[in-house]
Amino acid sequence: MKGKVIVITSGKGGVGKTTTTANLGTALAMMNQKVVLIDTDIGLRNLDVVMGLENRIVFDIVDVVNGNCKLKQALIKDKRFEGLYLLPAAQTKDKSAVSPHQMKNLTNELRNSFDFILVDCPAGIEQGFKNAIAGADDAIVVATPEVSSVRDADRIIGLLEAAGLNNPRLIINRLRSKMVKRGDMMDIGDIIEILSIELLGVVPEDETIVISTNKGEPAVIENNSRAGAAYRRIARRIMGENVPIESLDDTGNLVDRFRKMLKLAR
Amino acid sequence: MSAAVKIWEGENVINLEIYDTFAEMKKGLQKEIRQSKVLLPGMKINVYVGDKSLTDKQIREIEDILLDYGLHLKELMTNGPPGKQKRKESFSKVSEEGFIGFPEDMPEYEETALIRRNLRSGQKCFARGNIVILGDVNPGAEVIAGGNIIVMGVLRGMAHAGAFGDENTVIAALRLNPTQLRIANHITRPPDGEVIIVNAPEIARIRAGKVVIEKLKI
Repeated sequence: MKGKVIVITSGKGGVGKTTTTANLGTALAMMNQKVVLIDTDIGLRNLDVVMGLENRIVFDIVDVVNGNCKLKQALIKDKRFEGLYLLPAAQTKDKSAVSPHQMKNLTNELRNSFDFILVDCPAGIEQGFKNAIAGADDAIVVATPEVSSVRDADRIIGLLEAAGLNNPRLIINRLRSKMVKRGDMMDIGDIIEILSIELLGVVPEDETIVISTNKGEPAVIENNSRAGAAYRRIARRIMGENVPIESLDDTGNLVDRFRKMLKLAR
Repeated sequence: MSAAVKIWEGENVINLEIYDTFAEMKKGLQKEIRQSKVLLPGMKINVYVGDKSLTDKQIREIEDILLDYGLHLKELMTNGPPGKQKRKESFSKVSEEGFIGFPEDMPEYEETALIRRNLRSGQKCFARGNIVILGDVNPGAEVIAGGNIIVMGVLRGMAHAGAFGDENTVIAALRLNPTQLRIANHITRPPDGEVIIVNAPEIARIRAGKVVIEKLKI
């Protein structure tokens, strides 16, 4: 098996990298893929919390690269899906505890036993970012429709290109279609015009994300979560399916919305 | 009635009606501005020409004369005495359509760097001569050239032309929407709170000690 290493990054913090990693990983696992999620935010780990696997951590990524344990021992098996694993970050060390070279070796080792290796990148452009992108084949840039987020995404795309990751794809997160309609929020076209990269998907702002994050259950499991449905479609696109970018119209009459809900549930 | 600069209803009006030919008009205008004690650079000026009608090119020339003294043409007024005159409503449009080409005194530099990609936030390019960019310059990116800068795309970042002090250099872009423009030692930024969207190529250069942006004819 020759797995694909995808780094999920954004530059700016709080735009939903970790949520995106957890949901895409889970969605891919739901499609019977073997997936491992790597949390590279050493010192500020929280992918394990979002996945609800915090209480199972024994070893972490720093233990693995330092040879304190075997890679297999540090991988935590997900409680819901067969074939979904998490390699947690260390909480007590800092980002310099791992080098880009070690990350490369680690991801290369994981390639042999997984279809997808999703790397959750820390915010910023320093050591943690360099580690996270070291072994990646592909990059997904997450941005919210805010000027600051788009600015940072632009910077990150430049750095990714400089590192040889030439075709990063974009996920626009937390889009509020009502605000876009009123002209109070940047729309998808504005963002694409500035960033000029391929759009992988659009995730609407959704309260269920907060609930599911707090519960430690990715929203993709919930059938009636709009964000979860968006992540499921993105996962299908990552698998190479041709799924059109949905129009995020949450107005419309009751019948339409009901029909849409039924469609999402399927 | 002698030609004069008058303040009419709080607006500055220069009366050019007394001149017969356009050449006299231009001379008179220059004389009036030089002699006037009311006019200060940066003011917006109305020009009254009476019954005469001017071509777009002539309006352009009047605008150029005003600009040389740091003044801006607000409106060209025709017909009837000042105060009661019917304003030529299409004027602002005429002025907007008055494209200019690259200026003849634009300096030439031997070296030109050609960049065939987008410049993203945090990226910077520098050249001793001109810089031509076939792509966009995004916010947070910097383009610094000893000579002129031409962007065949959207300029949203910072551009500095004439970085070694050449005030005749220009910055042109298919869409000029920068965070900041610098030419030689002049620094300008778009006005706060005003969103001006111009869907045409524009060119920035120094005129009468100020950075002026005009539409560009390509």
